[in-house]
Amino acid sequence: MSTTTTPTPNITDPSLYLDGIPHERFAEIRNADGLMWHDYHDGGFWVVSRHADVKTVSKDGKTFSSAVGMTNLWDLEADAIEARRSLIDSDAPDHTRLRRLVARAFTPKNIRRWESTVRDITVELLDAYVAKGEGDFVAEVAAPLPIRVILTMLGVPVEDAGYLVELSNFLVEGTGDTQSIPPDAFGNTTPLRLLPFNSPASHALFEYGEKIGDLRRADPQDDLVTSLVQAEADDGDRLSGSEYRNLFHLLVFAGNETTRTGLSHGAIALADHPEQWQRVLDDSAMVETATEEILRWSTPVLHMRRTTTAPVELGGTHLDAGEKVVMWYASANHDERVFANPHTFDVGRTENPHFSFGGGGPHTCLGAFLARLEVAVLLEEMAARKMHLTRLGEPVRVPSNFVHGVLSVDMAVEARS
Amino acid sequence: MSDEQTEMVLVTVDEEKCIGAGQCEMLEEDTFYVDDDTVIAKVIGTGMLERSRANLIVETCPSQAISIVEASAQESPVGDAQEDSGAEEADPS
Repeated sequence: MSTTTTPTPNITDPSLYLDGIPHERFAEIRNADGLMWHDYHDGGFWVVSRHADVKTVSKDGKTFSSAVGMTNLWDLEADAIEARRSLIDSDAPDHTRLRRLVARAFTPKNIRRWESTVRDITVELLDAYVAKGEGDFVAEVAAPLPIRVILTMLGVPVEDAGYLVELSNFLVEGTGDTQSIPPDAFGNTTPLRLLPFNSPASHALFEYGEKIGDLRRADPQDDLVTSLVQAEADDGDRLSGSEYRNLFHLLVFAGNETTRTGLSHGAIALADHPEQWQRVLDDSAMVETATEEILRWSTPVLHMRRTTTAPVELGGTHLDAGEKVVMWYASANHDERVFANPHTFDVGRTENPHFSFGGGGPHTCLGAFLARLEVAVLLEEMAARKMHLTRLGEPVRVPSNFVHGVLSVDMAVEARS
Repeated sequence: MSDEQTEMVLVTVDEEKCIGAGQCEMLEEDTFYVDDDTVIAKVIGTGMLERSRANLIVETCPSQAISIVEASAQESPVGDAQEDSGAEEADPS
């Protein structure tokens, strides 16, 4: 049977995450019978906290729909759902069609071609950071690296990286309690409820995407934006204007925000566990397992929501059709049933089926192999410089129940090579 | 082979389900190829893998598009099943 208590503290409270993931609370939820019910605004949701249950939900997109109620915690009205729908908020066959439009660029084989680009950017950023001797790792390395890589792939001028990182920061605010910009920021006139993350920054990102799209329509290049606008032009059935806007938005946001989070938590973990960093320095073969452990440890996206389309039994609880279930990757990645010593940062962990790219279904992270490449190249280049990071203060975390973000973390950096 | 895990089995891709993630191609590049135009994985070569390896790939595929073509109920040898289903694969619709 179901447990129908709301855990305290409230795992949807954005300010809770200023102190990091509430691991003790998630452990209680994981180890309770059945699924736990959690109140949220006018309604509530079932907390899917165990690794096995997250996997079941992720793999069964028919029973657990991404399209019906979309993938965010909050409920949206019908017009907002249509205006805000993107690749992640769709089910097959729409999802399959949209995903194939961008999938080719992100296959493991094709991502390998970007290795030298990723390495060049990484080397430039690390050398500048080492020359300074200290500074905010997020601003110096973790933020610029992924945004410059995704913009290069999209074909967006790299000079605009700073502007797009700024927009991303405003989008993340939209998942918290307070927004620092007014509803009419960036000339926005669209009601916020129709914009992704309820943020006027989404309007700015849509406009920016339209501008780049117009440029590529007039002057096609060998880049992702060109392939998207051509899919839109070839045949209106392949990609609608609204789908283009939302897909561009998703690629820019997901392509920089999540990897920035992963790289930031990786740097913090290596600074806090110098003996683990020493293992990577001593054995370059450790980069592969260290990359996966950093991904597990960082869990950049904390949750995703689904809505049931039929009655189903999940984790010992009976669910009716139309119920909201929320998968907490932050919990699944620390499930003691799957991970030995889950709260230990172990760069040599070999059994590491983490869900930082989702629970393995069709919505598995499009950029998974790009993110892996960026983390691995960063580790390789840090090791080549025998870089040592020392924290100069506590990380400043993002107050969000959706992204496990780090705003800044001051570090001293020394290259001993 | 009496060992079930090392038995050779035929794999196939459901073109409607494939999302072009390319994980099959990464794991077994001699057996899978993601077509550049359709962004759908195709089975190339014999399409035969050891059962343990095939199981891993079936499990890894994010869209559950890959399956093992089990030998038919009349217990024909695996080699026959491969030829039959291989003909279907070679005729993309």
